[in-house]
Amino acid sequence: MLRREQNDVLTQTGPNTPGGRLFRSYWIPALVAEELPDNECAPVRVKLLSERLLAFRDTHGRYGLIDEFCAHRGVSLFFGRNEEGGLRCPYHGWKYDYTGQCLEVPSEPEASGFCGKIKLKSYPLVERGGVLWTHMGPVDRRPRLPEWEFALVPREQSFITKRLQECNWLQAMEGGIDSSHVSFLHRGELGSDPLFKGAKGNQYNLHDAKPVFEVAESPGGLYVGARRNAENGNYYWRITQWVMPSFTMIPPRGDHPVHGHFWIPIDDENCWAWSFDYHAVRALTANEVAAMRSGKGIHVQYVPGTFRPLANKDNDYLIDRQAQKAGRTYSGVAGIAMQDASLQESMGPIVDRTKENLVSTDNGIIMARHRLLRAIKNLADKDVTPPGVDPAHQRVRSASVILEPDQAFMDAALGALTVRAGIAHATV
Amino acid sequence: MASESARANAASEVGYRIDDVNWRQRSVKVMALDRHSEAVVRRLAQQRWGGTTFFTAAAFAPRPDTDGQLSMVNWLSDLAGRTKDLVDELDTIDLVAMVATAGEAVPVASVIGEAARTKRVTTIAFVLGSASTPPEALSKTLAQLRPWALMLVMAGSEEAIAEALAALRA
Repeated sequence: MLRREQNDVLTQTGPNTPGGRLFRSYWIPALVAEELPDNECAPVRVKLLSERLLAFRDTHGRYGLIDEFCAHRGVSLFFGRNEEGGLRCPYHGWKYDYTGQCLEVPSEPEASGFCGKIKLKSYPLVERGGVLWTHMGPVDRRPRLPEWEFALVPREQSFITKRLQECNWLQAMEGGIDSSHVSFLHRGELGSDPLFKGAKGNQYNLHDAKPVFEVAESPGGLYVGARRNAENGNYYWRITQWVMPSFTMIPPRGDHPVHGHFWIPIDDENCWAWSFDYHAVRALTANEVAAMRSGKGIHVQYVPGTFRPLANKDNDYLIDRQAQKAGRTYSGVAGIAMQDASLQESMGPIVDRTKENLVSTDNGIIMARHRLLRAIKNLADKDVTPPGVDPAHQRVRSASVILEPDQAFMDAALGALTVRAGIAHATV
Repeated sequence: MASESARANAASEVGYRIDDVNWRQRSVKVMALDRHSEAVVRRLAQQRWGGTTFFTAAAFAPRPDTDGQLSMVNWLSDLAGRTKDLVDELDTIDLVAMVATAGEAVPVASVIGEAARTKRVTTIAFVLGSASTPPEALSKTLAQLRPWALMLVMAGSEEAIAEALAALRA
């Protein structure tokens, strides 16, 4: 349960909001690089943190993320001409470069220097790992570029998608650290999904349906450990990483690629669910990539030409009551991603957390909210850089490991919880 | 025509959600397991709570009494120092929240945990100071808590415990 004012702080991320200031402390994923495939390609509308923006790639390959609307009379530059080093408004020919600087105002004498006085708001847009990242905070507080492992491995080792999720970012993100729902909602997928099945660790999941949870603070966020009984009195641990504000990495299963998410606010009632898979030491196989492209694992199939999932609220998520009754899926919705999204969207655009009744196993969610609120306050009151900004906080891994019974999982598995170049994830 | 889900998920539908109170006050017992956590629990108790009461078991001594059994009396008390009977205190409650200090011996956890299990009461444990405690010392505390806590939180601060209790409607 949260008080209403706490819920507002956490769920509102527009300009000049405390939560918005938090998000503007980080490099966040804005587009998949394929959205701007070529120099002078069509610009792309982008809404992030409740700001309407336009992304484009100019003649020289420079990426720009600028205010969507022309400074002259407010026309959307989506209709602009991407030509000769800038984006030209088709209405009266005003032209802007990738920083938003106006280069030409054809109606004014060139010598007047008028165009030099016009500049649209802009943010940096940087490609890393097949993702275009932006930082929407003040220039003087711009952190070093992100160092998430999935974005640094060779491209053939990763697969990254995004999908529209039609609810507030927080209720989507909270699903990523709510380990206790997996035994219900996703129980069908452990044995059937090609990106999960076959791991020895799955047997521990199936034999011990009541894991015990432990939560500990990490430098950038939280470790959420789920412990099950293993052989010889040892424990099988699945350790999820949550790094502020909205990165989660799911523990690996066998030699399958590791996956995780970012949840990035579009506005307060919609977010991008970014889903990544990668393997630290090998290329993804053709079968793995084919499975991901077909919507297996944490990915989805799309409405063609969009990032909207094919199963969405307009078609009741293609719910199949026969599959539900037969136990092929627990909720009747197919696929892990849409099983989560369908329920999270059903909460409404912004769930009212004053009415919820949390229980002990929700402490991962409780602690994440606590850390977010504390970081927002420290940033607002004392200008403290929030956890997760430092690239050192981003060089993390999830892990699945067998540990002796009395060990603190975050200490015993510390080596497995940080990036080790050339070494695969610790996994069972 | 819009689907059921499209209509139901819309912002305009939020106002039609039932607005009645959907919960009753929970009864939570917060128990300090060692001297340091007793001080923490005393500070927590000064905040406003609903159905939550605070105790200390810091006086627990894992010495058998004359019958060779662990003593079940004279170690649990409320914060005013009045001795309490553990079994009585667990009647009709919803949650026991144990508070321990990393590195401290907390043998009382097993007594509380066993009683809670018998009474079918959920237990949660908060461990303070884990980040600054050597792993071997922390392991000793965890070994005594783990069998008896459905959820274990390595809390970074007292404030985190307070927030967690509030989130659980304590």
